[in-house]
Amino acid sequence: MVSALPPAVIFEQVSYKYPRSEEYSLKKVNLRIEQGEFAVITGPSGCGKSTLCKCINGLIPHSYGGTFKGKVIVHGKCTLEHPVYELAQLVGLVFQDPESQLFCSTVEKEIAFGLENLGLPREEILARVEEALDLLGIAHLRYRAPYELSGGEQQKVAIASCIAMRPKVLVLDEPTANLDPLSAKSVLDVVYALNKKLGVTVILVEHRLEMISHLASKLVVMYRGEVLTQGPPRKVLFSWKILEIGVGLPKPLLIALMLAEKGFPIEAPPLLPEELVELVAGGEER
Amino acid sequence: MRVFEGLYYVKRNTAMHRLDPRAKLVYVLCITILSTAVFHTALPMIMLFISVIPLAVEGRVLRRLLSTLRGGAMLAAFIFIFNFIGRLWNIGFVSPSSPEFLEALMPSLAMALRFLTLIATFSIFFLTTSPDDFAQALVQMRLPYDYALTFTMAMRFIPTLAREAQIVADAQKSRGLELEKGGFMQRIRNYIPILVPLIVSSFRRAETIADAMESRAFGASKKRSFLYMLRFKLSDTLFSAICIAITAAIIWLRLSSFLPP
Ligand SMILES: Nc1ncnc2c1ncn2[C@@H]1O[C@H](COP(=O)(O)OP(=O)(O)O)[C@@H](O)[C@H]1O
Ligand SMILES: [Mg+2]
Repeated sequence: MVSALPPAVIFEQVSYKYPRSEEYSLKKVNLRIEQGEFAVITGPSGCGKSTLCKCINGLIPHSYGGTFKGKVIVHGKCTLEHPVYELAQLVGLVFQDPESQLFCSTVEKEIAFGLENLGLPREEILARVEEALDLLGIAHLRYRAPYELSGGEQQKVAIASCIAMRPKVLVLDEPTANLDPLSAKSVLDVVYALNKKLGVTVILVEHRLEMISHLASKLVVMYRGEVLTQGPPRKVLFSWKILEIGVGLPKPLLIALMLAEKGFPIEAPPLLPEELVELVAGGEER
Repeated sequence: MRVFEGLYYVKRNTAMHRLDPRAKLVYVLCITILSTAVFHTALPMIMLFISVIPLAVEGRVLRRLLSTLRGGAMLAAFIFIFNFIGRLWNIGFVSPSSPEFLEALMPSLAMALRFLTLIATFSIFFLTTSPDDFAQALVQMRLPYDYALTFTMAMRFIPTLAREAQIVADAQKSRGLELEKGGFMQRIRNYIPILVPLIVSSFRRAETIADAMESRAFGASKKRSFLYMLRFKLSDTLFSAICIAITAAIIWLRLSSFLPP
């Protein structure tokens, strides 16, 4: 993906240590995400994915303090030089816990919250709220209380409240971690659709690689505060090493790895069951 | 806990509910002035108390109100007893048929009735006013938005916290915690294994909420705008005017000694 546009997000040698913490949670992270990309970040728990997400909109270091080295640049803006509320208009951040990030009494007010903070006129707020409700397909939830909703619906509300602010980058930190597979699929589908429809850059932390890795334009694997590998998902994931550090590989890929070990030629590592079937059936014919 | 039931908003569509919170505050203020500064005896208290009932009926929250009052009755009884004993103590215990006895009894009764009247009034306000509208009213009355937001968020997270407390309690009970065991102090101590995890998780939750708010540009603009503003309607003006007029008339009648103290 070659692009003349400036990159959406750049991490330059970023190291970060939380206050009162002994060890660095991020160690010399280098990362480059282009505009319009659909980047998936994965890695075992505690490897620093959430920490990385909070660096993108400046929560780290502005709100957390600690020791921050290196630079994060979002659409040409260095996060150190801009307050969180300014970066928030550029980067939407969706958190893992669906309930705690929703604090208003109705879905509509939840989505309006960020726009009210910006001091937008009422008509504009209303129009954007309706737009976001439609984009996420949750217009029927408009007057419901967020805490009565299902986990999947709550995540869609959280995404809507970010999208209403028209960010250029949407960061989602394990949005499906607390969801059942069906709701997870529905949330991921909606995120993918936003990426395609609005061209918003998506940075998605996700464990369910079998659902999403084939859609990713880039896959980043983190391990113990470092970026282990990054690149096209098929290339990055087709490795025993990734499995060993505790990343759940998509089953077709795992089978392909085993086949490769037995000497079966694998040119394009399969991410989807269909691709595996194709590969094996094709191999028979040969 | 019954007392607090009277503070939870009950969603209905009645004239009482549609009234602007500020108009309802005028009413609350009028009753408060009348029951604390203007009248001091039992009979007017009873009258004031009774005047609250029609509003509760109109707002279709009478049953809730009664349940609040049942909770408040305990406290009212305490107020009455302590007052009464205190007064008897001062005048020396006298025979129940003597006029002094009645002089101690009636003001104590008035105190208890005043308490119930105030509870009923405030309860009507909160039963028919959504926390959002209340907060918005406060903001439009120039209270800083942060305070109003704190209030609405506290209301919003009560059910969440209650649910979490239930989950922790169940988990601890399944490990053998017995809440109902032991004497008074022991029973209080029994709640520690529930409170500690609850407090820890609340802190973590507070951190996430703060992050989520900041991530949505909280504090970006000095001039925050609002999706919904409260509008003081003609009916609100009328209601407030009537409240003030009646209160003024009552005070005048009282000052001219047409009404008992
Ligand atoms: N608020 C915090 N204070 C101190 N240490 C933290 C904090 N949040 C996370 N950490 C530590 O930073 C490391 C990375 O955590 P995190 O970014 O949450 O990982 P992940 O999201 O990949 O599970 C962990 O070792 C964790 O203990
Ligand atoms: Mg995390």
